[in-house]
Amino acid sequence: MKYRLMVLAAAIALVAAACGGGADATTTTAADAGGGTPAATEAPGGGEPIDIDFWVAFSDEKRLGFAQDRAAEFNAAHPEYNVKVTSFASYNDVFDAAVLAVDSGEPPALIHFFEAATRQALDAVDSSGNKIFKSVTEAIGGRTEILGEPVVLDNVVSAARDYYTIDGELFSMPWNTSSTVLLSNMDILNAAGVTKPPETWGEVTAACEKVMAMTDAPSGCISWPNHSWFAEQSLGQQGELLANNDNGRSGRATEVFLNSKGMIDYVSWWKDLADKGYYTYTGQQRDWGGVDSAYLAGELAMMVDSSSDTVIHTEEAKDLGFELLASFMPRNENVPYVGNLIGGATIWMLDGMDTTKEDGALAFMNFFSNPENAAAWHQLTGYVPITEDAVDLLNAEGWYEAEPNAKVASDQLAAAANTPASLGALIGNFVGIRDILTIAIEDILVNDLDVATRLGQANEEANKSLSEYESLFGN
Amino acid sequence: MKGLAPGVRQKTFFRGRRWPYHIGLTITALIIAFPLLYAMLVATQTNAETYAFQFTPGSALAKNFEAVWVKRDFAGAMWNSLQQAILVTTGKTVLSLLAGLAFVYFKFRGKWIVFGLVLITLMMPTEVMILAMFRLVGGFGWQDTMAALVVPFLASATGAFLFRQHFANMPTELLEASQIDGASPVQFLLKVLIPLSWNVIAALFVIQFVYTWNMFLWPSLIIRDESKQVVQAALQTLTNIDGSLNFGPLMLAAVLASIPPGLVFILMQKPFMSGFAVGQDK
Amino acid sequence: MLIAGLIVAAFLGPLFVWRKSDSPSVARYGIASAAAVVGAAVTPIGMGQCAFAEETSGVDHVLAWALMAGGAWLALIITQSVFDKLDGKKTGGGGVAGEIRTGGYRMGWWVPWLLLSPTLIILAVFLYTPAIQTFTLSSKLTRLGAPRSKDVCFGNFSELLITDPVRLVAYPLLAIGFIYAARLWVTRSTPDTWSRRGADITSVVAMLSAFVAFYAMFSAGGGGQVAYRPVYLNTVIISVGIVVFGMVGGLAIAYLAFRQIKGGGVYRTLLIWPYAISPAVAGLLFFMIFDPNAGIFTYTMESWFGIDVPNYRESAILAQMAIILASSWKIIGYNILFYLAGLQTVSIDQVEASLIDGASARQRFTKIVLPALSPITFFLLVTNLTYAFFEVYGTIDFMTKGAPAGKTSVAIYEIIRVGVNNGDLGRGAAQSVLLFLAVIGVTLWQFRTSGERVSYGGS
Repeated sequence: MKYRLMVLAAAIALVAAACGGGADATTTTAADAGGGTPAATEAPGGGEPIDIDFWVAFSDEKRLGFAQDRAAEFNAAHPEYNVKVTSFASYNDVFDAAVLAVDSGEPPALIHFFEAATRQALDAVDSSGNKIFKSVTEAIGGRTEILGEPVVLDNVVSAARDYYTIDGELFSMPWNTSSTVLLSNMDILNAAGVTKPPETWGEVTAACEKVMAMTDAPSGCISWPNHSWFAEQSLGQQGELLANNDNGRSGRATEVFLNSKGMIDYVSWWKDLADKGYYTYTGQQRDWGGVDSAYLAGELAMMVDSSSDTVIHTEEAKDLGFELLASFMPRNENVPYVGNLIGGATIWMLDGMDTTKEDGALAFMNFFSNPENAAAWHQLTGYVPITEDAVDLLNAEGWYEAEPNAKVASDQLAAAANTPASLGALIGNFVGIRDILTIAIEDILVNDLDVATRLGQANEEANKSLSEYESLFGN
Repeated sequence: MKGLAPGVRQKTFFRGRRWPYHIGLTITALIIAFPLLYAMLVATQTNAETYAFQFTPGSALAKNFEAVWVKRDFAGAMWNSLQQAILVTTGKTVLSLLAGLAFVYFKFRGKWIVFGLVLITLMMPTEVMILAMFRLVGGFGWQDTMAALVVPFLASATGAFLFRQHFANMPTELLEASQIDGASPVQFLLKVLIPLSWNVIAALFVIQFVYTWNMFLWPSLIIRDESKQVVQAALQTLTNIDGSLNFGPLMLAAVLASIPPGLVFILMQKPFMSGFAVGQDK
Repeated sequence: MLIAGLIVAAFLGPLFVWRKSDSPSVARYGIASAAAVVGAAVTPIGMGQCAFAEETSGVDHVLAWALMAGGAWLALIITQSVFDKLDGKKTGGGGVAGEIRTGGYRMGWWVPWLLLSPTLIILAVFLYTPAIQTFTLSSKLTRLGAPRSKDVCFGNFSELLITDPVRLVAYPLLAIGFIYAARLWVTRSTPDTWSRRGADITSVVAMLSAFVAFYAMFSAGGGGQVAYRPVYLNTVIISVGIVVFGMVGGLAIAYLAFRQIKGGGVYRTLLIWPYAISPAVAGLLFFMIFDPNAGIFTYTMESWFGIDVPNYRESAILAQMAIILASSWKIIGYNILFYLAGLQTVSIDQVEASLIDGASARQRFTKIVLPALSPITFFLLVTNLTYAFFEVYGTIDFMTKGAPAGKTSVAIYEIIRVGVNNGDLGRGAAQSVLLFLAVIGVTLWQFRTSGERVSYGGS
């Protein structure tokens, strides 16, 4: 009998240790997680502050640090709330985690999610079929102030507002918003006799010809990451749709056009640059870091980049000792210019919170993008100032005179016509479809394939993928 | 060793001078060490120094360390990995010991079936079922918890068989003596088997520690919250520091991430090797 | 179709028993026949006979037949082992399980179960359950968080294969025929003749033809099919590269380090430490070395030798070589470790005898050392292969992310790309099943060839 008890006790202790150990570890690290945000959150009434979990898809200290600092400020001003910022490696990580968290009953209050997956977020449901997210416009319900924080949702700049407006309302709160810009190393361009950054495809090719003809030419002339976003931008510039039903804005998109004329022209020009040795392909898809690295090493005269890093790169160029000039993304000179679109991400609010918590979340969102904060965010990174008031504030400060590069993205977006083409597409499984296009472009660049044929194949694949998505998520 | 003095073996095997071996081994060791040495060099440099191919230590070690260890909380990731590695290693060893005990010193119905079921798991690496496992463990609500990093890896066919084999090779008298003393199986395990198994335990410890510490795919799926991430997966986000690719901090993190398993491996090398010898000797 | 398959199974059952048993009775033929039918019927009926529904293709039928054959075969093996047990023979697993001491303790029946329960519970929940779910997922069109899923039967599999059912059946049969023919030639020819040498070479070629057959069975893409051929080819190239590089290098270095010289222990430590490095860190280190702008490799090549090195991520061959190099660097310490242990077991008598015969160092190595190391080589082959199948993920993710144009995307990388990054769980699961089958194949081959052998790998 004694034996049995001992064996039993040992086994139980073991299992308990295994499970308990896990649980303990979790709580300790959870406490550590708050380390980034000073916990100045003693509720005055002695009650526990309400936790508002905000999941952010940034992990670098600048961007994540910005969110953490704003959360700390908000918590100090509203001791009844405790906004907790948690960092994730990517947008998809945030989203998958949120979907799982909803099903396991501990969802965050706010998540940070990107533009291309807007349709996916709208379609997301929990295991019992209820929508996961709630419309921010609906939740604000026309109020101009929440818990003393002025509502800034109505003040959002039109490029972002138009992109994210679905069925007449802003569903999520825009945060980091950018566009594509051309960054030129003027030292190299000037040396080649090019005095101003090229504006069109033809001018880029011509400038590159001069650059590469120099005796001390860099290893390449121009580069940008093989990211579908650049192709989407180009379609917007040329006024072509990526998907039917007005880019998925007048109804669910059921067909995509990856081999439209605009797409073929753009990729053909791209391939031509690569064939001539002007365009440097880093060899990886979505390789922002690789392009940056080549550009900063002085191996490139120009790069097309997200404006989100304009301010950062301008500073880096100063440190490295060359003149960096930002300008509009080069366009196709053979068709009229329609407009560039935005990229970036918004903050989505999860459904199912009680009113007190929801108001806290809404107040934080509006505080987060109040004019001062939105302006500071722009100055830190280069993302466009997200509200009109923030733009006014920056103008009043004289910021743009000191940093002309920072204004380019806003100007480019302001120059765009408000058409479905330049608004960008809302497509189901857009992330997967982007992947198909990226792979096709890589295939074309690396394996020297015929542009129209390969894009045709990609189009077929993408439409199959879309119809499968629609059969699972569509009406 | 088969009872032969090493000197005799050596003489039979090798003739001729020794210095070519010294040279050959030194060169080989340097080639093998090169990637890590180079990473250590870059870890001290700024990007500008790296691009300039400066072959002397750079000026930015402290800055890189601060960028990685403090600002990006790599310390936290190291701590998470350490917890995971210790919990998995300990749990696996205990479970394997118990299973070995049951397999060798007990007779029970269905032993063959159980043995077979454990055996079959040798051909079921987690990776081939990783999608289903992600759904399953996610469904438990275990995402972003230490449980997800530990519990699925507690049982080990390898460990159970290693101990089973080791126990089976022990003299039968051990058990008889302990039974005469009236010791329970657990006492027998604690007082007799474990003291005789340190080599195997150490070998298993090194293998499991290194395996767990180096886990990459599973944590990068089930742990999304960066503050709960383990070292290997945390390296992924370090490819972007201050908005671009900064080699110095990145290489520093790679070097730091290799210290604990390297330390375990070097410190426990002797028992590890002899544990292997036990495993080999049949 | 289903009925036809079951009838075939009913006849194959007795045939199997007839071949395996010495004295089968009529009753046993009957039981075997029934077992084969049940085994063959389980999967198609479980899947609602979807493969034989109206809209299915020839490829679906082939897959369904293959599955039925597999089910019948499994049922027959179980039946046969039951017969053997009844006859008092040792069961088939005996060689693997080895001699187990027939227990010392006489305690309650539940004590051993209690000791085993934590292991069994964890294996059941975290290995068997997801393994079964992988199979069910593979027949579905589903996404994470989707409100509904659809049954697609074999659709996730057939889109990875060629669309012609005849060729799909013919290729593997041809390869199997070739292998058997070569084996027959080997057994019929006398050793040390030209005929035997020819037979040996033919059997190697025959083994290689199996790789070619798989290649030919996978789809090259187009027409709604998924191009799985490149993934298969990448997996074969990178795995074989890692195994060959890592093992040849490991053996060479181990042989060098085996001699006892001053400081030998220090040398050994300096040679095997990369074992402790993770595949992810290995990827990072080589990512740095080969970086086209900041890497020392490019720099040295250009400034010292004047060789203009192209960006490795733009060239399929260079990218694959870089992955192979980084991975074999990491695994080489492990191989050295085992080869050093293995060299201890080389028979000293044989070495001495060869010295008396005046054999050269090379002859001594090929005739005595290599054969003596073959068990260890075999063990390393399997562990290295497992490493090359799975652990390489971390290395690839840091070095190339599958670039260029998917040329370094191996099976496991593709599973994650499809199943996680694109959220297509069903397709990812189907590819997982393929990899699963490959692992089962390798492991069975290991068990068959080596009898009892303890694995020191990960799990």
